Amino acid sequence: MIARSIRKSSYPVIPYITAGLPDLDTTGKILGALAAAGAPAMEVGIPFSDPTADGPVLQQASNLALNAGFTMDSFFHNLIKWCSSIPMPIIVMTYINPLIRMGMERALSRIKDSGVSGIIIPDLPRDASGVYRMCSSMGLDLIRLIAPTTGRQRAKEILSQCSGFVYAVSVMGVTGPRDELPDGLVKQVDSIKELTSIPVCVGFGVSKKAQVNGLLDVADGVIVGSYLVSNIMSSPDPVKAVTDAYMGLVG
Amino acid sequence: MRAYFGEFGGQYVAETLLPALEELEDAFNRACQDKRFNNELVSLMGDYVGRPTPMTHAKRLSEHFGLNVWLKREDLCHTGAHKINNAIGQILLARFMGKKRIIAETGAGQHGVATATACALFGLECHVYMGEEDIRRQHTNVERMRLLGAEVIPVKAGSATLKDAVSEAIRDWISNVDTTYYLLGSAVGPHPYPTMVRYFQSVIGNEAKKQILEKKGSLPDAVIACVGGGSNAIGIFSAFVDDPVELIGVEAYGKGDGMHAASISFGTPGVLHGAYSFLLQDEDGQVLPTHSIAPGLDYPGVGPEHSWLSATGRASYVLVDDKEALDAYALLNRLEGINPALESAHAIAYLATYALRNKGKTVIINLSGRGDKDLDIVLEAGI
Repeated sequence: MIARSIRKSSYPVIPYITAGLPDLDTTGKILGALAAAGAPAMEVGIPFSDPTADGPVLQQASNLALNAGFTMDSFFHNLIKWCSSIPMPIIVMTYINPLIRMGMERALSRIKDSGVSGIIIPDLPRDASGVYRMCSSMGLDLIRLIAPTTGRQRAKEILSQCSGFVYAVSVMGVTGPRDELPDGLVKQVDSIKELTSIPVCVGFGVSKKAQVNGLLDVADGVIVGSYLVSNIMSSPDPVKAVTDAYMGLVG
Repeated sequence: MRAYFGEFGGQYVAETLLPALEELEDAFNRACQDKRFNNELVSLMGDYVGRPTPMTHAKRLSEHFGLNVWLKREDLCHTGAHKINNAIGQILLARFMGKKRIIAETGAGQHGVATATACALFGLECHVYMGEEDIRRQHTNVERMRLLGAEVIPVKAGSATLKDAVSEAIRDWISNVDTTYYLLGSAVGPHPYPTMVRYFQSVIGNEAKKQILEKKGSLPDAVIACVGGGSNAIGIFSAFVDDPVELIGVEAYGKGDGMHAASISFGTPGVLHGAYSFLLQDEDGQVLPTHSIAPGLDYPGVGPEHSWLSATGRASYVLVDDKEALDAYALLNRLEGINPALESAHAIAYLATYALRNKGKTVIINLSGRGDKDLDIVLEAGI
């Protein structure tokens, strides 16, 4: 479902937003607005106390959401509503610990049963085959990341346990806008494409229309997170701010 | 090399770091087999760190508790704590790998000072992440690091303590993994760190075992050490794991209910900083704030090998609170003329409980560091 939606999209830019920022009601409204703006799929992040792969923007977003009272119960309560009212696939992004705490299998099936299409876990264990088996038996896409440092053998291993799309990390580093993306990125995307038939989407660091345009020449999709989330945090009207920011990238 | 201790440990990290962990494990394996590496390590441990450290028979403390107490004097290591054993070992490994930029995290500042020292010794660039709260309460160590030529980078995020300093060091490593060596100071983090840190700290246990056999002629009944991340404890435990010796790790019970850092006693298994281990977390898997008067113990996680030693029943983990640690700090000063770090004072404090049911037994305490750095905290507490 995710792969098809990305392939069908004329401008496949996948937004990432932190759930519960500023509150879960607003998160629902933002998702609706982004779907209406043509997003082919949407990533919703579960805030985490210790987001080691995230830069300052998403760290702050996590903190604010947790301080505003985010809980897993309220998240699941809302997630079902979002998934049933929004026609585009929803992807949950979460660090692994909240899933482990709930029990991996129980957590994944709750996510699946809410109507979610895929999951991204940035700190999966090296051997993620257990998690992959659970996801694939439930029909939940497990979207894996490939980094600039990932070797060919490891990339093959990852791709053999990956569905929906593969998330090509553009930069060596944490999430957050960059003025320029690395020169080797085109080659990196090409080399992943040689190994797989599922869509290759690029994320980390993207905040400008020119970057999106450039990336869509080589990749099947682009993921934009910190840039949109910073717009949510800086505006009194977050729904409008994030929709405007998204439209500015794709329009 | 095994990446797990039972179910604990592993590598739960961003994909960007996996090749670096592989490279590290490979280099560590080769270094362990390398004659020159080992000769240099042994020679620096002797001529620079000042090893072997003494084993002191604490006569007045023994009388006080009705026990036979021996102190393994890591406080007499160069820089004043056991942290230098690991810092020197890993800095040699960083050189072996050709890395020129060193980063580290620090809580109490002891690991930061040890790393800055090792970097000064070899002329390497050094950046130490330290929580703002810890910078405030351990400022003498901050000044020492600066004198040694290191840059101390304040961490404001979260609780601004050790946990957040580790997170920030990991972020730096993800961003600079090609050029940078992450010199992790405790037996935590993703494989191979817990194994590697134990290897470099096992010198404590190996010496202690030899010394107690020479001085007393038999093994001790128990070995006691404080546990934050758990590097000094695993270092001394490692030599006694296969012996009939009770192993006791002392966790920081802080101010008690809900304000402590006792991960094994009150935590549940989870993933923090790349490893699966006991963790202080809420029902949603969010990591909880911690408190200990000893900054080096103020950490919500614990090394995976300790989780395993606890789960298998091989070691037991007990509690000492802030007040008991402060009293033990004063007691050791008065009875033995030895000023322990507040971290190590937790191990001393447990003797009171241990003595209740073990009169006359022989105990080795790992006195992991000296307490000059804690004078402000102790005076503030009115001791």
